[in-house]
Amino acid sequence: MDFSVIAQMVVSGAFMGLIYALVAYGFQLTYATSKSINFGQGELVMVSAFFCLTLTNLGLPYWLMVPGGLLFGAVMGLVVERTAVRLALEQQSEGWILLTIILGLLFFSSAENIWGRDDRPFPTPISADPMQIFGVDITPLEISVAVGVFAIMGLIELFKRKTLLGKAFEAVSADRDAAELMGISATGTVMLSYALSGMVATVAGILVSPITTVGPTMASALILKAFSVAVVAGLDSGFGIVVVGLVLGALESLASFYIGSGWREAPGLVLLILALALRPTGIFGKAVIRKV
Amino acid sequence: MKGQWKRFLLLRGVELAALVLLAAVPLAITNPFALALLTLLAIYGILLIGLDVTVGYLGQVNLGHAAFLGIGAYCAGLTVAILGWGMPAALAAGFAICLALGALLALPALRLEGPQFALATLSFSALTTTVINEWESLTQGAQGLQVARPPVLGVALAAPGFYWLCLGLLALVWMAMRNLLGSRWGRAFEALRDSPIATDAMGVGTYRHKVIAFALGSSLGGLAGGLYAFNFQYLQPQSFTYELMVILLLGVVLGGRKSLWGAFVGAALIVLLPNLLSNRLLFQIFSAIGLGLAVFAAGRGLAKKTTKPFQALAPVVATGLLLVGSLLVANTEDWRKAIFALTLFSVVVGLPEGLMGFAAAALTKVFRIASAPLPDAAQLESVLPARAAGGEPLLELHQLMRHFGGVHAVDGVSMTVSAGHIHGLIGPNGSGKSTAVNVISGLYAPSGGEMRLRGKPLPVGSLFKVAGCGIARTFQNLQLFGELSAIDNVMVALKDVFHTPVPLVMLGLAFNEERQARAAALTLLQLVGLGARARVRAKDLTYGAQRFLEIARALARKPELLILDEPAAGLAQPDVAELVKIIRRVHELGVTIVLIEHHMDVVAELCDVVTVLDGGKVIAEGPAHVVKRDPKVIEAYLGAVATEVAQ
Amino acid sequence: MKKTLIAAAMVAVSTGLLAVQTFAADTVKIAITGPFSGGSAPMGTSMRDGAKLAISEINARGGIDVGGKKMKIEVIERDDEAKNERGALIGQELASMGDLSGVIGTVNTGVVLAGDKYLNEKGITKIITPAAGSQSMTQWARPEVKDLSIFRFAAHDGIQAAMVVEEAINRKLTKVALLHDSTNYGVSGRDDLLAQIKKQGGKLEVVATEKFNIGDKDMTAQLLKTKAAGAQAILIWGIGPELAAIANGMAKIGMKVPLIGGWPLSMSNFLENAGKNGNGTIMPQTFIEEPITPKAKSFIAAYHKAYNVKRIPSPVSAAQGYDAVLIFAAAVKQAKSADTHQIKEALEDLKDPVPGVITTWQHPYSKWDPAKEETHEAFRREATVMGMVKDGQVVFANDADRARLTKAAAGKGK
Repeated sequence: MDFSVIAQMVVSGAFMGLIYALVAYGFQLTYATSKSINFGQGELVMVSAFFCLTLTNLGLPYWLMVPGGLLFGAVMGLVVERTAVRLALEQQSEGWILLTIILGLLFFSSAENIWGRDDRPFPTPISADPMQIFGVDITPLEISVAVGVFAIMGLIELFKRKTLLGKAFEAVSADRDAAELMGISATGTVMLSYALSGMVATVAGILVSPITTVGPTMASALILKAFSVAVVAGLDSGFGIVVVGLVLGALESLASFYIGSGWREAPGLVLLILALALRPTGIFGKAVIRKV
Repeated sequence: MKGQWKRFLLLRGVELAALVLLAAVPLAITNPFALALLTLLAIYGILLIGLDVTVGYLGQVNLGHAAFLGIGAYCAGLTVAILGWGMPAALAAGFAICLALGALLALPALRLEGPQFALATLSFSALTTTVINEWESLTQGAQGLQVARPPVLGVALAAPGFYWLCLGLLALVWMAMRNLLGSRWGRAFEALRDSPIATDAMGVGTYRHKVIAFALGSSLGGLAGGLYAFNFQYLQPQSFTYELMVILLLGVVLGGRKSLWGAFVGAALIVLLPNLLSNRLLFQIFSAIGLGLAVFAAGRGLAKKTTKPFQALAPVVATGLLLVGSLLVANTEDWRKAIFALTLFSVVVGLPEGLMGFAAAALTKVFRIASAPLPDAAQLESVLPARAAGGEPLLELHQLMRHFGGVHAVDGVSMTVSAGHIHGLIGPNGSGKSTAVNVISGLYAPSGGEMRLRGKPLPVGSLFKVAGCGIARTFQNLQLFGELSAIDNVMVALKDVFHTPVPLVMLGLAFNEERQARAAALTLLQLVGLGARARVRAKDLTYGAQRFLEIARALARKPELLILDEPAAGLAQPDVAELVKIIRRVHELGVTIVLIEHHMDVVAELCDVVTVLDGGKVIAEGPAHVVKRDPKVIEAYLGAVATEVAQ
Repeated sequence: MKKTLIAAAMVAVSTGLLAVQTFAADTVKIAITGPFSGGSAPMGTSMRDGAKLAISEINARGGIDVGGKKMKIEVIERDDEAKNERGALIGQELASMGDLSGVIGTVNTGVVLAGDKYLNEKGITKIITPAAGSQSMTQWARPEVKDLSIFRFAAHDGIQAAMVVEEAINRKLTKVALLHDSTNYGVSGRDDLLAQIKKQGGKLEVVATEKFNIGDKDMTAQLLKTKAAGAQAILIWGIGPELAAIANGMAKIGMKVPLIGGWPLSMSNFLENAGKNGNGTIMPQTFIEEPITPKAKSFIAAYHKAYNVKRIPSPVSAAQGYDAVLIFAAAVKQAKSADTHQIKEALEDLKDPVPGVITTWQHPYSKWDPAKEETHEAFRREATVMGMVKDGQVVFANDADRARLTKAAAGKGK
């Protein structure tokens, strides 16, 4: 087969894979403090994207819209934590699974009615005209996705490893009560992680919307892939998520080309089930020791 | 006896009356739309009963059930289209294929809990939709498949006939599931949910029961799917997605988990929901009622301090939003998903038992139906036969090792437990006692060394396999089946008692076996002094009672070797004395006991031999009074300074 | 006892709900059904809003004259969400309503296939609009169907496919690619295109046939294949925002060939999301949002005002919804009754012309003949023109068409 076509598919797919990785990072942040993830994260991405669209339509320039959107994302993350997660964490149950699903549904329905059910274009100052790099068509938009994703991930890794607050994340997840006794507010840390996760969702929305357009259903496709990436890489791995994201994106693209576009979802799903079956903690994750 | 019959008639009679009432509807009402809804109600009833097995009994969030509905539907439809089968065969095909696929999916899902399980089922659901969508040569993909309704034994079924078929199947499923879930299977499923570790340790394989539960639930989904196909006579892949799944969850949770009536009520709600939403006035009335209930419950909960402020207020806010929304929005249909979400939210937070749970609790107070009486206790001899134990080596450990990375928790422990002895295992915190016991019982595989039971190698790394060898244990951190009653906890562990095969259980023919099991369990409860609290839920027992319950449960295994991991931890003095008596009684029956303890007086009173561990190694062994004075032992517990004092 | 009471109460409530479906006695009840949510929503909502515009205008004049008495029109809305099983349930529900005069709507072919059988069973009159898939009517083309209460008011795919193929041939193209979505509409559209290519002399070679799913955002795989095969144009049949993804995808890989396809290419979500990449796209239309005739002008102005928009999301759906109501009302008037069976009889033989937005309708339907679906199809080739996307609007692709329609309207002095 024509090499340039394969290269094109792999590269385009890999860029999309970076978005999956970014959303997966949102999971990682909250898992790191509370072993919980927001099953409605996709809807969070979508609602933040819509909010940014509204800001833009109200006349805000791009560089003002971004911080506005980030603030919104943080607030929404806090809302998720307070309404859907905290109660379950306090009861040490897993009720947050169902509750975050429910909250996601609520966001979805609200978005449908507030912004309408249509997909809308998302304005961006970055051009979507392709450039040829090594024979492959790449748009500056896609490059901005890569830049954005790596920047955010770098920041998060720095945060986790170098700052005290980052260490607090690990402490709370390892032993909530002990951390509290050490003067770390478990609730506060969990809140912070959800706020950060919300901001990551906003960044993902801003980066991906110009490519996929903004619509109520934009996230439902994204979210399963992000789950796949998070689980296959391991919910507590750092860089592994980027690697798995790139690979998954490329695989999907190749699958849709060679097998048929409808089968694009298949690699991610099969990988997810296999990963869960064979190595639930992920390729790069740490094994868990049960204590009785 | 008479009371029993009265109770039986009341409960069964009620179900029968409901069935007759529903069956009579087509004779009274000719509105085809009403009949269509009731048919859908029967179908969803079967579907939700299947979902309840994983969501209610196993306590997992199962996001794949809608996929099984779809698979069953397509299988049934295709067997008719391609193979020309009649309806019974087509329905059986849907049932069987989903049974097999459910078991297959359970294989990767079986090791997972919580969010990973939800994700695995979600992926399966998405994968199913993709396959159905893409396999156009078979399924017609997104264009949809026209399905002809086949005859049943040569008789074509029009509207009332098909309805009666669905209703009949619902009744059959109802009866079978009621019998099954009230038997050891239901108990095993619930035990799985509360403590998978203890379930394995009590010889009830978590693996196989999870797979069976999931397969069973999925097969019911498949059966419902076949009926679904023949009801609508048109299938498309987009019908069986996530959105349907959320609605099904809503039905199960709202109706009430672990309850057949709950599944039925949930199904009724799902079926009526679209109608409810399109009629604005009706919706307003319902949300007003909901708000009223929420406020009432909130007030009561806050006053009695049984609920936290958030738990009380959140449903009020949610139902309030529903009511306000119903008054303000232009079109309630547009906000359908939000309405589901808010309703589900109120129920999950404020009414976790669901409507039926709430209603049942409220109504039992009003009607005061006594719970079924317990049978007389069996003879202890038959439950726990005495053994002759002559002091020969029972359990031998040779250089046993268990490392966790750099931590050598157990570092070359050799020990022999003689039959009929009470063998103490003591040592300061972190010395490796619990780890050693966890290795023996199979929670961990050893990193090195050997273990022999009666000369034969002990199975490693599997609680289930070790439990099958005649070793039973209790846990340092209680691993009770919290939601089950005390007697049910013991019944889960009973060995060699349940022989009835599944089909006969479903037909209700296991009641004799059940009665005998209950009697045996009662005997063991009486042995530990809990006979009067047999029906109390394990998590509602006092701490001391819970500790004793674990012992009774372990004894149900008729063990040769009983391992007690800090049974006196946290007990008040009177309970400690009681514990000593219990252990003596068990010892008299010839059961060999390994006792880990910190209470030195208990150890001294009971143990024939004591092994002392420190830093993963054995530092002393011998009779209790000798070991107590050993300077190495004193140093291990108290530190080097004390050795000077002793000297 | 306790639980049975609850269960019995539920059963009673449910049957009660259904039995009690009473309306005011002296209105003409029309149900409007379509996708008001989901990817096809612009078409559904535009159809509904156009129809309701006509209804409010009729009601403002006092209602329809039914044998001397003025009866207002009452609307029942049902959202089928473009889902087939919703269509089935809605079909059953509407079929069981005792005093429904008729149904107007449905956009998705699959929904039509799932639900219309219940309506026809009871002889309830339905005007399908704007669903264009051939199967919606061909499903009835069996000799045993002697009587049909279902009518269609849209330019069906037989007409549209013919126009699309003609356009490609007129441009002197020889190699085309067919892209279609996986719904009934897309697949039957593909079949219609293939049949038309054959019928028009086999002058076009189909170098690639690719499909895509609803919800797909990235069409690079399919487009790369069509580019590699050397396609000079893409003939496309789809019904949602995927169409815009194709246009954008083509721009991304530098594929500058004409995009010609089915009428949904005029939807607002295509225009907005494709942006400048949509310019030059060609599709058959029954109505262009240009005020070239007085009736069109007043309709457009009234729609903009009533629904507070600057552009009708799907002009074809809106105009067809509007005119369908006018035709239905004319049938009611002629039948002198709100009974659905009598309305059907009148519809099959409308004596007076109905001046609509799209055109003046003269005897659009005749008695159902299973060998000729045209008897229940209102549109012919002459009523359909080619539209073209230009700067976010749909305009006449051929000035000749604009001139012809303007002249025709002027000639009638309206």
